[in-house]
Parts: sequence; structure tokens; C-alpha cells
Amino acid sequence: MKDPKKDPELPPFVKSWQQFYRLLILWLGVLILLFYLFTKYFE
Amino acid sequence: MSNLDWAVLICTLLAIVVYGVYKSRGAQNIQGYLLGNQSMPWYSVCLSVMATQASAITFLSAPGLAYSTGMSFVQFYFGLPLAMIVLCITFVPIFHRLKVYTAYEYLEQRFDLNTRALTAFLFLIQRGLSTGITIYAPSIILSTILNINTTYTTIFIGGLVIFYTVYGGTKAVSYTQMLQMTIIFCGLFAAGVVVVHLLPSSVGLGKAISIAGKMGRTNAIDFKFDWNNQYTVWSGLIGGFFLQLSYFGTDQSQVGRYLTGSSVGQSRMGLLMNGLVKIPMQFLILLIGVLVFAFYQYNRPPVFFNSFELNKLQNSSYQPELKHIEAEYTDIFNKKQQQLQQLETALDQKDQAGIDQQRILLKEADEQAKSVRKKATDLMLKNDPKADINDNNYIFLSFVTKYLPKGLIGLLIAIIFLASMGSTASALNSLASTSVIDIYKRLINKQATDQQYLNASRWATILWGGVCILMALYASKIGNLIEAVNILGSYIYGTILGVFLVAFYLKKVDGKAVFIAAILTEIAVCVCGYYKVVAYLWLNVIGCLLVVVLSLLLQQILKPVQHKKGQP
Repeated sequence: MKDPKKDPELPPFVKSWQQFYRLLILWLGVLILLFYLFTKYFE
Repeated sequence: MSNLDWAVLICTLLAIVVYGVYKSRGAQNIQGYLLGNQSMPWYSVCLSVMATQASAITFLSAPGLAYSTGMSFVQFYFGLPLAMIVLCITFVPIFHRLKVYTAYEYLEQRFDLNTRALTAFLFLIQRGLSTGITIYAPSIILSTILNINTTYTTIFIGGLVIFYTVYGGTKAVSYTQMLQMTIIFCGLFAAGVVVVHLLPSSVGLGKAISIAGKMGRTNAIDFKFDWNNQYTVWSGLIGGFFLQLSYFGTDQSQVGRYLTGSSVGQSRMGLLMNGLVKIPMQFLILLIGVLVFAFYQYNRPPVFFNSFELNKLQNSSYQPELKHIEAEYTDIFNKKQQQLQQLETALDQKDQAGIDQQRILLKEADEQAKSVRKKATDLMLKNDPKADINDNNYIFLSFVTKYLPKGLIGLLIAIIFLASMGSTASALNSLASTSVIDIYKRLINKQATDQQYLNASRWATILWGGVCILMALYASKIGNLIEAVNILGSYIYGTILGVFLVAFYLKKVDGKAVFIAAILTEIAVCVCGYYKVVAYLWLNVIGCLLVVVLSLLLQQILKPVQHKKGQP
């Protein structure tokens, strides 16, 4: 059976592409929150 | 500009041209010339797609947009990370598996030749026009510095880019873009540091942003749902998602970039990293525009940032009126200084009532300044009805040339050239590959040799370069350049994306149904855009959904046919 850790198609730092996708969605949520706080703080 | 700045600028331009010619030596066949033998690592893919999207327009227009209207434009990119995910799941594996040169090749395998030719044709129109605007953007730099008309500078810059692109294959473009993005990040950082350093000693970074914020320039987020508001969270997430998905999934200038990845994994990584970095990068570019705005609260800005147009007015019979306008503008600026002092004090003492009071007064002063600027532009039109009265794209440029130290001015202008050359080069490369692979090789000359196709690609690059220069000559009549490119894309991208989504997900629909649906949709989108029924970002959604719905309806009416290969 193929060792997933040696699979060149897997992304670094996370175990699967699905995890990377979830991480990216989380990152987008964090950015929107930070920009909201930025807008409120400086307006 | 000083001699040192000129030396930096000329040396950089020459180095890029020489580098492009040097890199083209390796591209001896059509596969190497158009796909770079699919050998690039993920970081090269990432920087290449970023450099293709972030042209000189990004560097010139975005800070100007933040200066004039604030930071709401950042929301435009909210759909990008989501689009990257869909691309990685669907588009990338299919394109790699089918070993296509262009995205439109897949459509013939899935549907028919008509659909492939239609989407390729729509792409050529959209990309050909928008590349013209991309060439025009850096030409305004030279026109401002040398005080000459943009026509001559457009032809000069366009000629330089064509020369470099004809010799540089896609691999050379990718390597050049890696270097360009590195220099752009450094340049952005340097510009940010310098503008903070130039502020009065009593005003730090936080206070500068606070002052700009009180005058409505830190409006990064707007949760209100409004069909006619260009930039809200919802238009960015939904409309932006469709625009970015179509741009990265169906625009050959981007597809060609990530098809250079050595594997599906390398192309995916490049796109996902782009999704991570793009929004913060855009935010920082807009923040520089906000800082420039704060800087000009303490230093009198010119009444009009395009010095070429202003000089024209100064040398006309309207000089006395202009002097009067200048005096009025100075008066408003001087009065504003007192209000700024009081706002600073209120901010230091955290006196909310004082802050609110000064904010109202400063906004009033801002409105007065705008009305005086309007008087100046009216006078310009009176003097010359063809005068370019939109100076958004000159704001950052004017700041760079007037206030940055010697040497750094040349470097920043060189960076703008590098960014423009990179995105223009990949655009011309994609126009050439679509013309040759989807039109010439498929419809005109099917039996030519590899060398003949390579030569045809080079001739196509020259031809498209000429068309783009002609388009660039008309770009001065368009308002903000970065918006113009996106508006143009919104007219066409939704339809093309709809065709691709039908191809990927609706296996029952055949070529005839989708072809008719695409034509009807394009007409509908053009009508909606012309009459401004909704803000332009929504045109992407309308176009995409209309193709999907019409395809399904037409498929019910028309006789279903057997599926073709190439379906996921």
C-alpha cells in the first residue's frame, strides 16, 4: 500500500488537501473579522 | 527625476529585456514555448499567477482608489480563496489529465468545436482589450515624468513589451515573474516605511490611520446588502467568487500559468498559496494609499494630480482663473490644518465628542476641496474638451516622484514597469497560444510542423501586441483603470464560467444547448451592463447562472445526444 506521507501530491504541514481547503476558508473568516475590527476601530 | 533615478530605471529595463531574450533560447518547440515543458515548482506557479494578476494597474490604481474612496475595494478579493478551492478540486486535475495547452481544448472534447471556438473568441476579445489597458498604465508614468502626451509613451512601452515577449516563452515569463514579485514586495515595504517617515513627528502610523479613518478612508468592510454598491462583503464573496473562478479557471492567461506546474499537486499548492497571500497583499497596497491620504492632510496636495493636464491649463488663457482656484484650494487646506490639530488633541485625550465634532468639520472641508477640484477640471474641459479629468491613477505616482528619496524613485518606477511587463507578457503569451492552438492549428492549418506552430505563436504575439497598443491609446478615456479591467471582465467571464461549469457538472447537456445558451446569455449580460441594472460584479453571477439554467432548458427542448469523452 502507498505511504501517504511519501505521496508527492499531498500538501506540506497538513494531512490532506481537504484539510488545506478548510484552513483556507478559516483564514478567509479570520481576515474578514480582522478587517471588520479595523473598520470599527478607526472609523 | 535625478540622473541616479534614470540610471536605475534604464538599467532595470535593459536587464529585463536582455533576460527575456536570454531565457527564450531554451524554448525550441511549441510545448516548451507555451507550457514550459510543465516543469515548474509550486512557488513559481504561485508567484507567476500573482504577478499575472497584480500588474502595474494594481500598483498605480489601488492606492489612488484608497486615497479617493477608501479601502472598500479589498472586499473585491474575498471570493478568491473560495475560487482557488473549487479550481483545485475540479479544474486543475482535469486540465492536467487531458494534457491540454489551453482551457478551451477541453470544451471540444466535452462538447464540440463550436463551443470551443466561441469561448476562445470571447477570451481573445476580453483579454485583447484589457491588455491594452495594462500597457497604458505604465505609459502614464513616462508621460508624467517627461510631460509629454501618453500616445507616444504608450507606443514606446508597448513596443518594448512586444519585443521582450516575442522572444520569451512561458518558462522565461514565469522565472521573470518570480523576480518581479520579490522586488514588488520589497518596493511596497519601502514605500510604506517612507510615507510613515514623512509624516509629522507627532503623527505615527496609528494616528495617521485614525485621521484617515475619521475622514472615511478605512472602510474595509461593509456588511450591508446592496445590489448597486460595487464593494460589499456579499458582492465580494459571491460576485467576486464567480469573477475569480472564471478568471483563474477559464482565462488562458492564468490557466497557462498553473499548467506550467510539474504535477497536479504543484499547481494546486501554487493556487492555494495565492489564496492565502492575495487578500493581505491587496490590503497593504490599499493601506499605502490611506497613508498617502494622511500625508496629504499635512502637505498641500496639487489641485490636480496629473501634472501634464495641469501644466496645459497653466499655459493657457485660463491661467488667471486657475490662479484663483489654486488660492481657494490653499485657503481650504490652511483652515483644515487647525481642525487637524484639534482632532489630534481630541484623539490624544480620547475625547469622543471632540473627535465627532472635528470629524464633521474635516469632512465638510474635504467636500469643499472636492468642489474646488471640480472647478479646476471644469476649466480643463473648457480649455480642451478632450482633457483627461480623472487623476486617480496619478495620485500615488505624483507622491512617489515628489517626495521619495533619489534612487528609490527610479527603483519604484522600475518596479511598476516590471509588474506591467510581467502581466502583459503572460497576457500576450496566452493570446498567442489561444490564437494558434484553438484557431490556427484547429481550423486553419492542421498539418503544420512544430517549428511552423512555434513561428505562428511568435507572429501572433506581435499581432496581438499591435492590437493591444491600439486599445491602450483609447484607455485614457476610461476612468479608474483597475475598475475598467474588472468591468470588462465581468461582461464576459460569467458566460465562459457557465459553459465550463455545465461541462464539469451537467453531464446531460450537450454542445448545441450550451452553445445557444452562451450566445443568449452574452446578449443578456451586455444589455444588463449597458443599462447598469446591477453593480458590475453581479454580472458574473448573472452570466454564469443564466448559461446553466438556459442550457438545462434548451437541453429539454433539443434532442439529447450521446456524451462525448472528457467528462469528469
